[in-house]
Amino acid sequence: MEIYLPIAEMPVNVFLIVGLGAAVGFLSGMFGVGGGFILTPFLMFWGIPPAVAVATQSPQIVASSVSGVVSHWRKGHVDFKMGGVLLCGGFFGSIGGIHLFNALKAAGQADLFIALAYVIFLGSIGGLMLWESVHAVRQGAGGGSRSHRSAGAHHWVHGLPLKVRFHKSKLYISAIPPLLLGLLIGVLSVVMGVGGGFILVPAMIYLLRMPTSVVVGTSLFQVVFIGAFSTLLHAITNQSVDAILAGLLIAGGVVGAQFGVRFGERLRGDWMRVCLAALLLMICVRLGVNLVWPPSNPFSVTIEAPA
Amino acid sequence: MMRILLVMMGLMLLACRGAHAEELAAGISRDKIEINSRFTGTEVAIFGSVEPAIGEVVQGNRSRDIIIVVRSDRSSRALVRRKEPVGPLWVNRDVLSFAEVPEFYFIASNRLLAEIAEPSVLQQFQLGVAQLDTGPSFGVALDAAAFRQAFLQARVADQLYSQHEGAVTFMSPTLFRTTLALPPNVPSGNLRVTVYAFRNGQITSSSSMTLFIDKTGIERALSDFSQREPLLYGLSALVVAVMAGLLAAAVFQNRH
Repeated sequence: MEIYLPIAEMPVNVFLIVGLGAAVGFLSGMFGVGGGFILTPFLMFWGIPPAVAVATQSPQIVASSVSGVVSHWRKGHVDFKMGGVLLCGGFFGSIGGIHLFNALKAAGQADLFIALAYVIFLGSIGGLMLWESVHAVRQGAGGGSRSHRSAGAHHWVHGLPLKVRFHKSKLYISAIPPLLLGLLIGVLSVVMGVGGGFILVPAMIYLLRMPTSVVVGTSLFQVVFIGAFSTLLHAITNQSVDAILAGLLIAGGVVGAQFGVRFGERLRGDWMRVCLAALLLMICVRLGVNLVWPPSNPFSVTIEAPA
Repeated sequence: MMRILLVMMGLMLLACRGAHAEELAAGISRDKIEINSRFTGTEVAIFGSVEPAIGEVVQGNRSRDIIIVVRSDRSSRALVRRKEPVGPLWVNRDVLSFAEVPEFYFIASNRLLAEIAEPSVLQQFQLGVAQLDTGPSFGVALDAAAFRQAFLQARVADQLYSQHEGAVTFMSPTLFRTTLALPPNVPSGNLRVTVYAFRNGQITSSSSMTLFIDKTGIERALSDFSQREPLLYGLSALVVAVMAGLLAAAVFQNRH
């Protein structure tokens, strides 16, 4: 069954798009990532213009994240305080990101920087995570989510001022590391055009040392706002949000997210980290191959709005 | 459809009787295409008659050569990037932009364009995908021709530009027709249909008409909404997204 998309100005298969939305929603509910880094390439592969693909994934990310965050919140798995601090950093980070992006564009190296940043971030985070989580699984350390956190270990992080108690995360740490992390995510989401969930989730687990169960819900909480901001930005600046395409993706996404949340709960923390690490590495390899393999057609064409 | 077409052609033929000089008359089977939610491309017949001048003896099976061009009124800007090796990596380096490229271009002729007219004539009237005027180009690439070639190839691959030599058929020495296949991704807006009659490599007459392509119903409403009230449109998309998320969470909560 085909349906015509008013903004993309082309027809798509309804079931294909709903299915794609469901698959990405599932990953979103399970891992706490937005899933834009998977959705955008798929949409473009089916001929959706890049501007529409990038813009239209945002409302889908909002919908599946809301679907997931509500379910996590009911189980008490969302640290709103931590999410708020991260968002605060993210707000200033995205402003900085716009300046950095424009500077890179002016230097003509934006594409190279973005591609390299992707591969390096995905590769190093995925690699480290896989190494740690496989180790944890081998040790068979039960819940595993906090097993890597040796009792009484004293980090330089603990010496920082502005200490705040994060009840849900069972943390009493300075607000500075989460603020900086939010800042970094804000910069990256503007420069790389992603929600940043795939960096935020590992960072919350390993840098902030939050329990894996709370990380997913808290990340989704943050992703809702990034997605909402991005939806409005795209709708206003280039009118490229396609309501019908978004509707189909949302229909699949919100249901997929529910299954993702349920599936994620049954998964032990260490296994969940193995899966996410594998996902990140897969995407890293795909992007890496793209970067190194000689392209079959070196040219790419983008069409801008009518003159 | 075919019968209506023949009747129309017959009427047109009658109308052309009694002419003194060459007469070219052309028509299209539909002059308005409505894009609704089930649109997956469509076909439009373009037909006409070309009467030779009084006293002229028609040689062979047709009176004239016919070239039919369909192109969009609107043009847009195209950016063409080229990946080049930087150490072990392939990254986009050179960028060339073409300021005014047609959004849609279709050309059909009764035989090879090169047989109908000299290259200079084809170029002057932009007859042929390779002859298209893409407007001024901006960029630092040394081999602009390769970028232009890549651009044209990409548009042909997207079915937005097409060239059909031999697709105009003559049913009698004076009656011709062809089929314009509009792809699913045809841009909305006006298409200008121009029929050129050629004799001995020169244009003897031409006729043009407009084909309207417009979204209707929900497609039209959404597209207009997104343009006129971008903030409200974005906010509505968000409200729908949040509601859908809450609804799914509520439904699944009750099931457990």
